[in-house]
Amino acid sequence: MIKTKDLTLAYLDAESKLATENPVLSRVNVQLDAGEFVLVCGPTGSGKSSLLKALNGLVPHFTGGILTGELWLDGKDMTGSQPHDLAELVGYVNQQPEGSFVADTVIDEIAYGPEQLGIDPALIASRIDEVAERLGITNLLELPLASLSGGQQQRVAIAAALASGQKILLLDEPTSALDIVSAREVVALLRDLAHQHGMTVLLAEHRIGRVVGEVDSVLVVHGDGSVTKSAPSAAFNDDRFAPPIIELGLAMGWNPLPVAMKDAAALWAASPADFAPIVRDSKPGDVLLRATDLAVRYGATNAVLPTSLEIHSGEIVALMGENGSGKTSLLWALQGLGDVSGGVVEIKNHQSPSTWSDTKKLNNLARLAAINMVPQRAADLLFLNTVSEELAESDRFASVQEGTTGALLSAIAGRLNPSAHPRDLSAGQQLALVLAVQLAKGAQVLLLDEPTRGLDYSSKRKLAKQLQILREQGRGVLVASHDIEFVAMVADRVLVMQAGQIAESAPLEIALGCGAQLASQLAEISNAPQLITISQLVMR
Amino acid sequence: MGEKMHRLGFRRVFSASKIHTGSWWLLALCLAIASGLTRNAFVLLAVIAFALAVIKFCRENAPWSRSISFYLRLGAFVIAVRLVFRLVFNFAGSAPNDVLFTLPSVSLSLGLGNQVVLFGDVSASSMLAALIDGLRLSAIIIAIGLANSLANPRKLLKSTPSALYEIATALSVAINLAPQLIASLQRVRRARGLRGGSSGLGSLRGIVIPVLEDTIEQSLQLAASMDARGFGRKGERGRGEILSARLAGFSAVALSGIGVYLLLAVTGSSALALGLLVGALGLGAFTVKLSSLRKTRSKFRRELWLPANWVIVAISAAVLGCALTGRFA
Repeated sequence: MIKTKDLTLAYLDAESKLATENPVLSRVNVQLDAGEFVLVCGPTGSGKSSLLKALNGLVPHFTGGILTGELWLDGKDMTGSQPHDLAELVGYVNQQPEGSFVADTVIDEIAYGPEQLGIDPALIASRIDEVAERLGITNLLELPLASLSGGQQQRVAIAAALASGQKILLLDEPTSALDIVSAREVVALLRDLAHQHGMTVLLAEHRIGRVVGEVDSVLVVHGDGSVTKSAPSAAFNDDRFAPPIIELGLAMGWNPLPVAMKDAAALWAASPADFAPIVRDSKPGDVLLRATDLAVRYGATNAVLPTSLEIHSGEIVALMGENGSGKTSLLWALQGLGDVSGGVVEIKNHQSPSTWSDTKKLNNLARLAAINMVPQRAADLLFLNTVSEELAESDRFASVQEGTTGALLSAIAGRLNPSAHPRDLSAGQQLALVLAVQLAKGAQVLLLDEPTRGLDYSSKRKLAKQLQILREQGRGVLVASHDIEFVAMVADRVLVMQAGQIAESAPLEIALGCGAQLASQLAEISNAPQLITISQLVMR
Repeated sequence: MGEKMHRLGFRRVFSASKIHTGSWWLLALCLAIASGLTRNAFVLLAVIAFALAVIKFCRENAPWSRSISFYLRLGAFVIAVRLVFRLVFNFAGSAPNDVLFTLPSVSLSLGLGNQVVLFGDVSASSMLAALIDGLRLSAIIIAIGLANSLANPRKLLKSTPSALYEIATALSVAINLAPQLIASLQRVRRARGLRGGSSGLGSLRGIVIPVLEDTIEQSLQLAASMDARGFGRKGERGRGEILSARLAGFSAVALSGIGVYLLLAVTGSSALALGLLVGALGLGAFTVKLSSLRKTRSKFRRELWLPANWVIVAISAAVLGCALTGRFA
């Protein structure tokens, strides 16, 4: 179905006007069959998106660059075709469905593609019925797109990409914005499209722990331009993006590596390993922040119902819960810049630890110095032209000695090239820079909103280390996240939000332990109480 | 109360989304033409009142339906500007005999021979003329506002002839991006609060750059999604065909521009203007026909034409008829 021959993508050097020496993709030769479900993975920024886009013409026609080599689709030479010429054959879905919608209602959105291709209206109607049934959205057809949940929107986007009878489906991180349940449903659906309807499905993903067991093959984009295809169990010799199930298999010395949860569970049951309970070096200290009956209301909707919580010195608290359960609103309300419709947030005075101040009575500057936040899109906070300018601006603003922010940055992320443009940094580096800038203001309490979006496993491990350093410094951290495996790495306790309320507050090993709805992958495989991360294993 | 009214069939039949997008635009254009042709203050006020009443009665809860307050403010602004200009440049030399009040006059010598006199005597008739001029423009603005707040901009796409499809798409995408721009502006401003820091120009930069980046990224994403689904295909058309379509299209735009100018300018002959406009319309229709010959797109679920539309068409025709036969003069 798909065959590439020496596919190479390089960008032009700004000065020499020649292709740069490090191509994004270099001599890619892959062959994929009809009905094959393929996972595309690799470290952050390795070129996964570029590979997908090269298969439907968005690269180079939308992104620039020079693409050489041959592309054969469905037995025809399609080298150099425009995206709209490949539209009958290739469907494309990206990570933010709401950003790619053209119409208002579900049915019009699905009809858009076939309309562009001039398909007869009567045939369009039957196609819509067909894809809607396949994706389980028949009852949504007449609804406005804006009223759908994230998972439903993603299904509509997939339906819209298939409505012209495409045989190939490309998906660029379609589940990154979805909660765990919706994400699993989407993956199961893609597997059915491949296996029951004979489509070739290429799925680029970061959170692959529960995907590797479902796919037929894995394309690894290594980051040096090379791309290799292998069976799921043979693909992960690089721990930058190996999910916990693979890490476990490697640690246990299982051969062949199991990729499906049930295979791993059977192997574990046959010969389980010893593990240590989670030990915390230090007990959490005094309370740094306390919120009492904090509530947020937008018009008639209650985003956060009256909620009380405390954050201690030297602890990392995870805030979990489905999309729309109020996590982000709660964080902004705690920081004080967001809307607050009731309740009080108090922080302990740094100078005289026995007194508390109401954050409402502090000015923005004093509040930032006490409680700070890294929002979902960390890059929103960066606006200067080089890393060194950002660092200098931060020192100046916090009125700290020159170089303070830089020192914080190197403590958590090593050195960054000071003349690099902040927008050219990887997502992980941007996050570290923003983290350093926010810490320079001296805040004892730090709030983070979904910091792992778009990070590969190795960047997540780095971030986890950074947060652990903050914990050792005695700061209190509250991190809102969907990412179970990341939470398993860092958190001391977990708060679960549901419909604007904290429904559950539990220590990490209970909240993510076996049998819990948010069980970590290792907890689910081992079914052993208290075991949630690889780092607990004791190997002989 | 709203609920109760809603159950009345009348209101439902004329609710904004039940009426064809084209009908709303027809009504808006006829009201605008009528306003452009009259100098009768009562007619202009009636047009504005009618447009506002229709909006109030028919509008539904949609993002675009709230735009009317913007058009109202724009209309008020236009009237105010007209009046202020007339106060400043009131051509006091024409010696009116109905002086309302006198402002201290300022003479400027611009080196062009004549002295220019600003302020001075203000006559009732000149102020009335300015008021009516402003009212005319505001009535046109509000008429366009009527179409904008009642017609779903995306539905217009469905009924656009394929020759105009690209332009209509660009417009609908632009309309679509505006709320997204506001959303990312709010998001970035709040995020900037977290960073703290300089106010004034420096902080503006911190907001503008991320917002611009966001908007460009989103438009590109949307464009990629449209292209990947087949938007932008061209049928096989010869060079000559494309060229003649472009030529006819350009002439139509030029003719209609001259026509509208003559119509609105006080001095023009309205017969010539009408002739030009009719010619422009004909050319336009020809262009659209020519370009739509080779069909590359299909239309799923065309917009329905319900009988209530005839009422809107009849009103539009009546308004246009009265305006052209001079009954509104």
